[in-house]
Amino acid sequence: MIPSKIISERSREGRALPELVRIEFVKLRHRKYVWLMLPSALIMPAIAACFFKASGMPDATPMRFYKMAAFSYTIWLVLPAVLGMLCTMLMYEERCDDTLKQLWIVPVSKTALFFSKLTVVIVYSVCFMFTAAAGSFLAGILTGITASGYDSVRFLFLKCLQCGILIPFAMMPVLAVAASQKGYVLPVCITVVYAFTGFIMLMVNVYVFPLSSAIAVLIKDIEGVVMDGPVDTGMAFLSIAIWGTVSAVFGVYVLGRECR
Amino acid sequence: MDELIIETSDLTKIYGNQIAVNKVSLHVKKGRIYGLLGRNGAGKTTIMKMILGLTPVTSGKIRVFGQTLRGNEKRIYPRIGAIIEKPGFYPNLTGTENLEIFARLRGTSRPDAVKKALEVVGLPYRDKKLYSQYSMGMKQRLGIACAILHDPELLILDEPTNGLDPIGIAEVRNFVRSLCEERGKTVLISSHILSEISMLADDIGIINSGVLLVESSMEELRKKNRRFIQLTVSDTAKAALLLERKFHIMDYSIMDDHTLRIYDTSVNTAEINRVLVLEDVSVTSSELCNDTLEDYFRKVTGGESIA
Repeated sequence: MIPSKIISERSREGRALPELVRIEFVKLRHRKYVWLMLPSALIMPAIAACFFKASGMPDATPMRFYKMAAFSYTIWLVLPAVLGMLCTMLMYEERCDDTLKQLWIVPVSKTALFFSKLTVVIVYSVCFMFTAAAGSFLAGILTGITASGYDSVRFLFLKCLQCGILIPFAMMPVLAVAASQKGYVLPVCITVVYAFTGFIMLMVNVYVFPLSSAIAVLIKDIEGVVMDGPVDTGMAFLSIAIWGTVSAVFGVYVLGRECR
Repeated sequence: MDELIIETSDLTKIYGNQIAVNKVSLHVKKGRIYGLLGRNGAGKTTIMKMILGLTPVTSGKIRVFGQTLRGNEKRIYPRIGAIIEKPGFYPNLTGTENLEIFARLRGTSRPDAVKKALEVVGLPYRDKKLYSQYSMGMKQRLGIACAILHDPELLILDEPTNGLDPIGIAEVRNFVRSLCEERGKTVLISSHILSEISMLADDIGIINSGVLLVESSMEELRKKNRRFIQLTVSDTAKAALLLERKFHIMDYSIMDDHTLRIYDTSVNTAEINRVLVLEDVSVTSSELCNDTLEDYFRKVTGGESIA
């Protein structure tokens, strides 16, 4: 038996979120499916390389190649779909394995738990986009479509970093829905619908939907991208912020409802 | 008066139209094992969940360590170790990794806390086996290890012996008993197995259909349920005097003006009857009674039996 009092309340409070994030990564270490989703970041670079090579485009520029390889379907559909799956997995495992009850009586803050999941999604998203960037860069070099120009490569990686950070915030509604569900069917279905809606809303009204708002902000300065009109960055961020706040409030609320 | 670690008054929980817990007033005393006994679905887990704040209370009050839980969670939770329903751990991590997570979340400062807790429940430290590969008994042991990891003052154990083999059950029983006796811990334990509660608990609460029917110390209950000779006499005071003087019987109790119980069943009943009659105490009946705890349970629950 453990003989002494071993609680340090003050240290526990200060470390709640970083500790939860660290724990999330410990859990992810053993989740091979999560890491098996990463190579899907290479789908579009591979398709772009084949397309550019096959079409033998004489006017191919690095930016045009990167646009197709990393900034088109990768951020419109592939990344949202992968992040939706990740959100579902992160929330489902807590519910399925009955660990939430155990966490509440530690006690762990519901807000900290929700944001620890979001942090994991952000980190994973950044890793995913860096994989896409590295894949695009290598695909371009290996197929001889692009040269290793500093500016374009810098732009590629910086833009991928921006995508990796912003898109998870636009995915917060899916995380909140996943938090509210005991199963994974609905969150997965919602992920698919959500990703396609984001893509469709890009052509309708980008400010209504957070994912289309995020994508619009991210792609507006990419060479070769033609938008219907100028993108109001402020409005787009406002849309993401409103959806994100509502999702966070809802997510934390439904987590608290877990055992009721 | 004994210090109460858990005190509930008129605790009620209603799910839709169904009353799961109905005006339950529990009193768990410091340093004692309180056994909550009831059939499956009687409301034991709901009571424990309400005590731990895992489900909202419809009405009534709960005080843990003399305080209400709401608003004092950060002070109260670290003093409690609990298993509710089944232990909840991450299946893709080992037992040690799971405990390390909870140790870190709780801010457990002792570096060997996990090792010690695993030792206590007889699970290997740094074993490669994942939690998903554990047997039910091992899962239950890990749940107990997690509950004691931070050396809590109060343990709330919801059917902790579920899935354990007889030796495992005996080990948990001994361990819980030693926690209480040697370390002064307070334990609230629930079970639907009567023998388990009767062997372990100091105090018992019998719950049926959400209603707490009896709350008593085991000592009192055993007294009520011992084998005894019940005499129905014309004058219990005179009969008692005769029992003491003539037969040196001290272990008896007077139930009412006409009923008297002798707990030493080895006495010569015929001789007692003869002496009482000779001393002008008429004996209407004399019978050997054998109330078991199960009989008692059956009686208080209105005829329902229990394992």
